[in-house]
Amino acid sequence: MVGGLKRKHSDLEEEEEDEKWDWGPAGLRSYQQALLRISLDKVQRSLGPRAPSLRRHVLIHNTLQQLQAALCLTPAPALPPEPLFLGEEDFSLSATIGSILRELETSMDETEPPQNPVAPPGPQNEVLPQPDPVFLEALSSRYLGDSGLDDFFLDIDTSAVEKEPSLAPPEAPHNLFCAPGSWEWNELDHIMEIILGS
Amino acid sequence: MVGWRSQSRDLQQDAILADRASSQDPLGSPLPKMIPGIGAFTQDTLWCFSQVKGTMETGTTEADIISTVEFNHTGELLATGDKGGRVVIFQREQESKNQVHRRGEYNVYSTFQSHEPEFDYLKSLEIEEKINKIRWLPQQNAAYFLLSTNDKTVKLWKVSERDKRPEGYNLKDEEGRLRDPATITTLRVPVLRPMDLMVEATPRRVFANAHTYHINSISVNSDYETYMSADDLRINLWNFEITNQSFNIVDIKPANMEELTEVITAAEFHPHHCNTFVYSSSKGTIRLCDMRASALCDRHTKFFEEPEDPSNRSFFSEIISSISDVKFSHSGRYIMTRDYLTVKVWDLNMENRPIETYQVHDYLRSKLCSLYENDCIFDKFECVWNGSDSVIMTGSYNNFFRMFDRNTKRDVTLEASRENSKPRAILKPRKVCVGGKRRKDEISVDSLDFSKKILHTAWHPSENIIAVAATNNLYIFQDKVN
Repeated sequence: MVGGLKRKHSDLEEEEEDEKWDWGPAGLRSYQQALLRISLDKVQRSLGPRAPSLRRHVLIHNTLQQLQAALCLTPAPALPPEPLFLGEEDFSLSATIGSILRELETSMDETEPPQNPVAPPGPQNEVLPQPDPVFLEALSSRYLGDSGLDDFFLDIDTSAVEKEPSLAPPEAPHNLFCAPGSWEWNELDHIMEIILGS
Repeated sequence: MVGWRSQSRDLQQDAILADRASSQDPLGSPLPKMIPGIGAFTQDTLWCFSQVKGTMETGTTEADIISTVEFNHTGELLATGDKGGRVVIFQREQESKNQVHRRGEYNVYSTFQSHEPEFDYLKSLEIEEKINKIRWLPQQNAAYFLLSTNDKTVKLWKVSERDKRPEGYNLKDEEGRLRDPATITTLRVPVLRPMDLMVEATPRRVFANAHTYHINSISVNSDYETYMSADDLRINLWNFEITNQSFNIVDIKPANMEELTEVITAAEFHPHHCNTFVYSSSKGTIRLCDMRASALCDRHTKFFEEPEDPSNRSFFSEIISSISDVKFSHSGRYIMTRDYLTVKVWDLNMENRPIETYQVHDYLRSKLCSLYENDCIFDKFECVWNGSDSVIMTGSYNNFFRMFDRNTKRDVTLEASRENSKPRAILKPRKVCVGGKRRKDEISVDSLDFSKKILHTAWHPSENIIAVAATNNLYIFQDKVN
């Protein structure tokens, strides 16, 4: 729970009360995308100095799966198991996943359907904070055990809220802990390929 | 799903009217008291404010937020745990003959720091000192024993009184220094002299390093020799005397964590059968297990689940079906479960659906999206039985709490607030308005304060005394003394 705040009208609530709210296919998709954004945001925000609530995490994950199914996505191919998720490699992979999530958020905001008059009040232009090494360390060796937090979201294909595949591959985020041409860069490339479904 | 609606008949409201009516007679003289349950004037319970503990300041520190409340088996003691790792025990004072109208009040008996914040260096994670649960052991001698737990460690505390102290040692002088035995020429027998009452709490056992995940429940077995602790994925059985070992009796961790879709949310032993326990899940199911069947109770004896209502299906269906609390009735015949919007009573002999469903705050059903966004949908409310299993109680938002009478099928919404805190003031029933027209005393759904949530309540084992935790304040209500 973020603070002890009185409930405030979310952008979704306002959209629901708006008489022009369209529950047709486009409106429903927009709603689902908004839920997807909220869910991914929750995942990111839940990573703090304290171990996240596993129950909350599982419930959000299951909801994400439902959203994925509803958005009629084909499931992403399973990533090769062992090499990517062991030991110190977790560190850079976590950074990778973190930055991918941020990329997705940005791109989702840009693909809001134009007919929706209410601008989502997301942090679109906010400069996202640089991931703290200690934070990422914690992220990589979560109390979930060998596999990291990231494993939950491998099967989530978020290509529906991505940019069009015809666009050029996204520029590497500058705060990523790897250099172009390094093996980590190749991993990043590989993962981005899968997520974009190209 | 047949749930009866709590629209019109307010338990407390009717009782107030009945009370007034029965005390007036057209001719002016008071009518004789009606016999409860006979005739039109049923004597329902009227709840009155008794006490409130905690500060009135608006800027409360998070450490003072009460995280668990529990009466002991006689109701003489009331324990609370808070986010700062402290336990406060209140004791009911003896009823005096002089103050007939004042039932025994609860006063502070002992306060101690049960758990401290810890840091897991291996995983770079903080371990919260918040007390998740307190459970009392039945009293077997002059001392009181309770279990308290945070996310990782369970502790057994002994709370005992000392009102005498020995004087007249032979080997020590008055200041406590040792005397040279060669200087002792006579012996005396030490005597016990009275001293001011001192209540001391000492940790007798620490049960640590047995849980990878967060402990959500502890439950003392009816054999009084063992207890269980449950975390998100595992349940362990302990013997009170042994701290370096525990038996793992339930393990739902999948080999591949990617396949994890369900966690354990609560667990409890049967009140009489020491081999039987139940645990609930985040998918709204309850499993009853028999420890005699096998050492690892991964296969349940009974499986309780209600089929989903397809007309109510939404993206939030699973989240709101997640059970936040499970409690056996005192009789052991029923279990009660709390999910986000309802309380359900199940008969142990019928697994396919509950026998009773009570709507706690169904007006929130259309607000689930916002409640998901602000995380309120993950709030874990507890539920309790009264001593005779005839009334059940649970909390809600806006410092409201609800009681459901299983026999009369009537319910009431009451509020724990400082405004209603005059001594012996009768609590007025509250009502939430869902539609357009709001009546004078009603509150609209949009005005509810979702930061004021009543997650923890307790009911005295034999009397109509309830303890309600409202953030950092503990309210004690009693029924009206006639």
